[in-house]
Amino acid sequence: MLDEAIISSITPVFRRIFEDESLVVTRSLDASMVPSWDSLNHIALILELESHAGVKFTTDELASMANVGDLVDVLKGKGYSGA
Amino acid sequence: MAATQVDRAPLDAYPHVREVQRVLDERFPYFARIIDRQVQEFGPAWLAFLESDLAKFFQGDLERLGQAVFGYGRFALDGMRLQKLFDKTHRYEFKSYAEASDEVYQNRDYMFSLYLPGIYLSHFLWLHHYKQHVFFEEKFLPLVRNHGGMEFYDVGVGTGFYSKEMLRALPDIRGNGFDLSPYSLEHTAKMVDAFGFLPRYQTNLRNIVSEPIEKPAPFIINIEVLEHLEDPQEFLNALCKMLEPGGYGLISAALTAPNADHIYLYNTAQEVADQLVSAGFKVLDHIEDEAYQPRKPGDTVPRNAAFIVSR
Repeated sequence: MLDEAIISSITPVFRRIFEDESLVVTRSLDASMVPSWDSLNHIALILELESHAGVKFTTDELASMANVGDLVDVLKGKGYSGA
Repeated sequence: MAATQVDRAPLDAYPHVREVQRVLDERFPYFARIIDRQVQEFGPAWLAFLESDLAKFFQGDLERLGQAVFGYGRFALDGMRLQKLFDKTHRYEFKSYAEASDEVYQNRDYMFSLYLPGIYLSHFLWLHHYKQHVFFEEKFLPLVRNHGGMEFYDVGVGTGFYSKEMLRALPDIRGNGFDLSPYSLEHTAKMVDAFGFLPRYQTNLRNIVSEPIEKPAPFIINIEVLEHLEDPQEFLNALCKMLEPGGYGLISAALTAPNADHIYLYNTAQEVADQLVSAGFKVLDHIEDEAYQPRKPGDTVPRNAAFIVSR
C-alpha cells in the first residue's frame, strides 16, 4: 500500500520531466524503458523529487537507484509516505 | 510499456568494454547510452583504444573493473548534481585548497573508490575529455616527435593517464610525475607499471611551487590542474620555469565545471590563456570543447580548454 501511495505521488513528477502524460510508473520502470530518461533528465528528476518529497539524497543513495523500485525504497527509508 | 530498442554497438570482441556496458545497464541505466554515443562520434578506433587500455590496466579482473565503473557512476552523478546548482549560482562552492585536499586528495577511500576511477573512465566516456586526448595525439605528439627531446614532466598526474600515454607513444622517452596526493601517485605508478613503463618513469610527492624543480625538461604535461588551485597564476609561474626554451607543453583547464575539489572558476578559455601568457608561455594552439549540448538556454555545461604552449 505504501509503495502504491508513493508511486502515485511521484508519478506526476515523472510525467512532467519526461513529458509523457501517459507514462505508467511501476517499481520495475527504469531508464532503458523511457526514451527521454537520459543522464540530464535523470538529474532533473532527482532534484524535482527531492523538492517534491522534502528529502535530500546522498551520493550513495543516488547510486543505489537503478529503477523506480529502488527509488521508492530510499524514499520509504527517509520516512516519505506519499501523503 | 515496451522496452525502447536502442541500437547497440556489438561488443563481443571487446570483453572489457562489454563489462563497462553491463554495469552501466545494471546500475546506472541513464548513463548506458554513453558507449553508443562515443562509438557514433569517434568510430571503432575509440572502442579498440578503450578495450586495449582496460585490458592492460585491469588485466581481466572484471570485478575490479566493475567497481571502477560503479565509482565512475558516483563521480558523474556528483558532478552533474553540482552542475545544476552551478546553473543557479554561477559559483563554485567556496572551499580552501586545504579543505579540498582533506576531503579528496588525502582521502584514500574517496580517491580509490570514486575519484580516480571516475576520472580515468571519463578520459574515454566524456566527449570533451576524449576530444582533449585527440588533440594530444593529433597536435601535441607530432611536435614532441619532431623536437626529439627525451624527458617530460607531468605535473598533477591525476590517474596517470597522460603520463602513460606519453610513455606509450614515445618508446624512448622518460618521465617524472609530480602530485600532492600520495594516492594519485600510487594510482599512476600502478597504471604505468601495468603497461610495462615503470623503468622509464618516476613519481614524486612534491609541491613544485614551494620546492621548485631547477632542471627544466623539453616537455611538460599539466591536465586539468589549474581549477584545483587557489592561485593558479603562482603555479603557472613555477610551471613555466620547468619547460626548456623551445620545448612544448600541453596545459588544460576545466571551465564552468563544478566538482568537489574545483576551487578556481574559469568562465572562458581566454582567462586561462591570459594567465599562461602572464607566466611567460607562448600559446601555439588550443581547443575548447563542451561535455554536451546545453538542454535549454541558461544551462551551463562543463567545458575544457587545452593549450599547446612553448617558451
